[in-house]
Amino acid sequence: MTETLLFVGDLLTSQYTYLLVAILLVVGLYIVVASSNLVKKVIGLNLFQTAIFLFFISAAYVQGGQSPILPSEGAGEGLYASPLPQVLVLTAIVVGVALTAVGLALIVRIYSEYGTLDEETLREVRADE
Amino acid sequence: MSELLPALLIVLPIIGATLPLGVGLLRENVGWSIAALVLSVEAGLTAWLATAVYGGEGATRIVHVLGGETFGRRGATENFVVGIELVADAFSGLMVLLVAGVALGVLAFARRGGPRGNAFYSGYLLLTGGLMGLFLTGDLFNLFVFLEIVGLTTYGLVASDRDAESAVAALKYLVIGTTGASLYLLGVGYLFLRTGALNMVDVSRSLAGEPEWIDGALYGDSLVLAAFGFIAVGLMTKAAIYPLHTWQPDAYAAAPDAVTVYISALVSTGGAYAFARVTWTVFTPEFFAVGQNARILELVIVLACLSVVLGSGLAAMQRRLKRLFAYSSVSQFGLIVIGVCVAVHPAGGTQATRLAVYGVVIHLLGHGLIKGGLFATVGALAHGTGARRVREYAGLAKRRPFLSGSMAVLGLAIVGVPPTIGFLGKWYLAVGALNTRLWPVIFVVFASTLLTLLYVARLLEKLYFDGPAEGAAPAAEPEPEGPGAPGGADGAMMTDGAGSLSYGMIALAVSAAVLTVLLGFAGSALTAAAEPIAQAVIEAAPEVSAGG
Amino acid sequence: MVEHVVDSWRPLAAVLISTVAIALIVASHRRPNVREAWSVIASVGKFAIVASMLPGVLDGTEYRWSLGMVPGLDGEFVAGAEFALRADPLGMLFALLASFLWIFTAFYSAGYMRGLDEPNQTRFFASFAASLSAAIGIAFAENLVTIFVFYELLSVATYPLVAHDETDEARAAGRKYLAYTFFGGGFLVLAGTALVFVLTDTTTFGATAADLAEADPALARAAFGLLAAGFGVKAGLMPLHSWLPDAMVAPTPVSGLLHAVAVVKSGAFGVARVVLEVFEPDLVGELGVGLALAAVAAFTLTAASIIALRADRLKRRLAFSTVSQLSYIVLGLGLAGPAAVAGSGTKTVIIGGLLHIPAHAFMKLTLFFCAGFIHVETHTDYISEMDGIGKRMPLTMAAFAVAAAGMAGIPLVAGFVSKWFLLIGAVEANQAIFAVVLLISGVLNIAYFWPIVYGAFFESHDDADGKPLVEFPLGGRASGGASAGEPKAVADGGAADDAHDDDAAATDEHQEGGHHDTADHEHAGHAVHSDDQHEDHDHHGGPPPGGWERAGWTGAEGSWLMLGPILAIVAGAVVLGVVPYQAMFLELIEVITEGVVG
Repeated sequence: MTETLLFVGDLLTSQYTYLLVAILLVVGLYIVVASSNLVKKVIGLNLFQTAIFLFFISAAYVQGGQSPILPSEGAGEGLYASPLPQVLVLTAIVVGVALTAVGLALIVRIYSEYGTLDEETLREVRADE
Repeated sequence: MSELLPALLIVLPIIGATLPLGVGLLRENVGWSIAALVLSVEAGLTAWLATAVYGGEGATRIVHVLGGETFGRRGATENFVVGIELVADAFSGLMVLLVAGVALGVLAFARRGGPRGNAFYSGYLLLTGGLMGLFLTGDLFNLFVFLEIVGLTTYGLVASDRDAESAVAALKYLVIGTTGASLYLLGVGYLFLRTGALNMVDVSRSLAGEPEWIDGALYGDSLVLAAFGFIAVGLMTKAAIYPLHTWQPDAYAAAPDAVTVYISALVSTGGAYAFARVTWTVFTPEFFAVGQNARILELVIVLACLSVVLGSGLAAMQRRLKRLFAYSSVSQFGLIVIGVCVAVHPAGGTQATRLAVYGVVIHLLGHGLIKGGLFATVGALAHGTGARRVREYAGLAKRRPFLSGSMAVLGLAIVGVPPTIGFLGKWYLAVGALNTRLWPVIFVVFASTLLTLLYVARLLEKLYFDGPAEGAAPAAEPEPEGPGAPGGADGAMMTDGAGSLSYGMIALAVSAAVLTVLLGFAGSALTAAAEPIAQAVIEAAPEVSAGG
Repeated sequence: MVEHVVDSWRPLAAVLISTVAIALIVASHRRPNVREAWSVIASVGKFAIVASMLPGVLDGTEYRWSLGMVPGLDGEFVAGAEFALRADPLGMLFALLASFLWIFTAFYSAGYMRGLDEPNQTRFFASFAASLSAAIGIAFAENLVTIFVFYELLSVATYPLVAHDETDEARAAGRKYLAYTFFGGGFLVLAGTALVFVLTDTTTFGATAADLAEADPALARAAFGLLAAGFGVKAGLMPLHSWLPDAMVAPTPVSGLLHAVAVVKSGAFGVARVVLEVFEPDLVGELGVGLALAAVAAFTLTAASIIALRADRLKRRLAFSTVSQLSYIVLGLGLAGPAAVAGSGTKTVIIGGLLHIPAHAFMKLTLFFCAGFIHVETHTDYISEMDGIGKRMPLTMAAFAVAAAGMAGIPLVAGFVSKWFLLIGAVEANQAIFAVVLLISGVLNIAYFWPIVYGAFFESHDDADGKPLVEFPLGGRASGGASAGEPKAVADGGAADDAHDDDAAATDEHQEGGHHDTADHEHAGHAVHSDDQHEDHDHHGGPPPGGWERAGWTGAEGSWLMLGPILAIVAGAVVLGVVPYQAMFLELIEVITEGVVG
């Protein structure tokens, strides 16, 4: 019991970012699965990816780390933000933007053809054809 | 000089991808010629790389560090890599050969049948570049980037014939594919968190507890286990394993024929390759031998087995050819994933590992070739006769003897009838599984032959032993030259109603069939090529180098 | 005996000659005469190549070809198995038989296909040649993997022959055939092969027994079971036999050569390889699997004979006879295990089993050819319509009578010698019960062949005795019209299936004849009706209105293209029975048993 309490306490005080990431992740995935609106699906996807980006960013904030490129003498002191994850996230964001663009472009074409953004309606329309 | 090759292989098609669009501003329809030129050079470079890899004793590991040595690994192995490494070894060397071959081959199909326009060829080249990167990269995060480049261009190409049907399929693919890739990224994040490295070799070493700043192996760490879980789910989505396969039938069915050939041969193959690569060289068998880690592997195996069974079952129920073969891919990748897992499962000894690795490598190549050939045949038949449904295939053998012959050979190859490369893959997967004594898995692997026969036999019977059904098919227009002229019928049909059947399409289908059979006799060469990989997995070595 | 192995391309040539013929056959599809000439040339060539190796093999030389002899390849097909062909005595037995009988079949099928003016003849002859290639490949395969390759190819190559007619029934039979053979080959044999490979690291015949003896007995038994069952599918072992009667929808040359010689014998031959060279009799006996195999075979041969009693369609009766006779071979091989344990009779049962391979082939081929000839000349397929047909086709029915006598084991015909060996061997091996089964089966053989011969020669169409066995329901004749409308399958479990098949078979026959008569099913209202009876006495089956015409004994009954082969083969059957040692096969078999038993 106490162990659980300690764990929850630790999570809420010093590791709350992970909690936040987890919540965002689940919310995003839920939107992707549950929303029948195609645009909202893409938004959910973005949210999902953003959660992962935040996860990387928070992981970059390390106690006692040191620069990987120009090693200093001995371990560093205090908090230190590793540049590597930030570079990664930058790349991932670019990928994410490209995905959103492609997704929206496809949605535009679907809308112009079927006149709907709703997945259910879309299914009915296509079944009729 | 050969150190430059891996980078060149990726960069060349990507730069080439800008040309059709750029030059297209000045001239119409230059896309095909540019793509053909670029891919020919690419194929030459690939062959050069393959000679460099396999030329010496065993297999040479060719590494290119992007950004040069400044950012690379310096001196002792203790210094981890900062830059991104591109690695051409026995495994990726084989796969890029497949990519280059298929990319060039599909061009023959696309010249007449594919979506026209320069933009298509830009996407096509970009996809080739992405795949090259996917197979050649030695970095976990870089793998994600290439997965997404491949994904993005595939979504685009699936929708490239500008009809709304394909847009819906592409969007479905995009949503599922991106979710899968993101889950993979999350898994990589976990690994990064624990080891501080992204280079596959470095992560593998850290997990093994090699560097002095890590206390012992990290195999028991639940974070690492979770990382494997996320990575497995993500990559299984890309490889279309049940229940994450739903994007595949739609995407394959809606895509233009040339695109289906290309992605069926290579894109899922990329996902399965990535899964094998990460499982074998990053996690290694030692990870799964620790504690209860093998359980998660068994979970994956269960999904893969379901994939084999349900994929075949669903395939047998399909009416449209392209959906049928899409489900067939679900089933075949199930077999491959079973092989990947069997190779590292603690229940099997070195022999199980060796044979399963052979099986995975050969079946990856073989399935790419066979499935690509099948879709090329389906596409060519559709262009020639308009037949896209199983019932429209009735009696087509008399009108299209060569294409029907290819379909028969390739179909039997996917069943695993010897002597074809399909049999070789299945044989090694089967004996590999047999060595683990995991009986249910073994049963599924052997039964897969019969399951595959379900849909292949149905198709062949339609093709050869069924007269054209009355009023069934718009395809059944009488031929000008009649059924008596099988030899000349194929080529002469370019004026037929549905179509634009070209010699290129027939050549592609027939050569895939011929190659499938010829490679069936190349068993020893293929296993020799796969031996260094097997050796590395057996030794749990992160680097696939000279074997023997 | 000192074995010595010579590298030679001849085994490969024997396999490939008919593959080359396929291309030529397809290329000359416009000129039937040229096309059939290729078949004949290939068959003669194939036999010549095989026969050229015979003297060497009898002297202890084995001719071996492997993929490694092709420049640039190292021969390994899959790990642990070379792709290799080796003409050893056992392989020669099968190869010699198949290639020899193909020569006659090539003539006969030309006559048959033309006589009926069948469609798709090019595909027929091409598949036929392909099947022969695969059969010779099976004969010469050096290891389990190679034999599996050809075993699967044989399934694929014969499928077009079974489904040849393209009718619904033929397609259904084809589907069933593929399903059964792939279950046998792609599943059972492959699994057994893989298991043997995993247990012993090799699959070469003759090199596995020692390791298998040391392996876990349960796994070794499983491997034997898988292999025996897998090859047993093609050998028609019950309960996996049911594709064989259905496959009789194929044109008769196919039923003859493939479903009495090449395909089914490839199964029996596979069992022989497994028993004699993969496990070897001693181990088969120790594991106790030989007795199990013999028991299955004994059951099959009795049950199939009983079913054959009630089949009215001649080819169907022959099919069940095939199922039954093949089990003699398997029985002989299965008994090798217990005999090896008992220490006596091993040689005798093996000789008996193996000798039955050629003996049955000659006799059954004759019977099938007769059935096909009757079909071509008179369109008669049903035994109940054949009364008095001896007048119309005297030579054919005489040949039929001789072959049938041989089937039953009457001396001076081939069947006697092999059954004699089996009988003696079973007693020597202290398994007298199987000797009893053999005797009972001999009686049953007479019971299902004699009525045909008797009816043909000693009865006439309008004055025939009743045929209670095929006409009445099992369990005796129901009184009056009460049985008419009732469900017919009562108490007739075994035949319910047959009824379906035969109805369909009747439909097929009509289509062959060109006019389709859907009134078939209305005949269900007849007063006396058995499930297995062909009620449809229509105009093109059975004798013409005035009874059978009389044809002389000089060959006026039909084309010599078909009559010739029939007489030649029946002569061969007699030669085998009268002077077995001069006919090569027995000598070959003794060499084989020397090699196995020592």
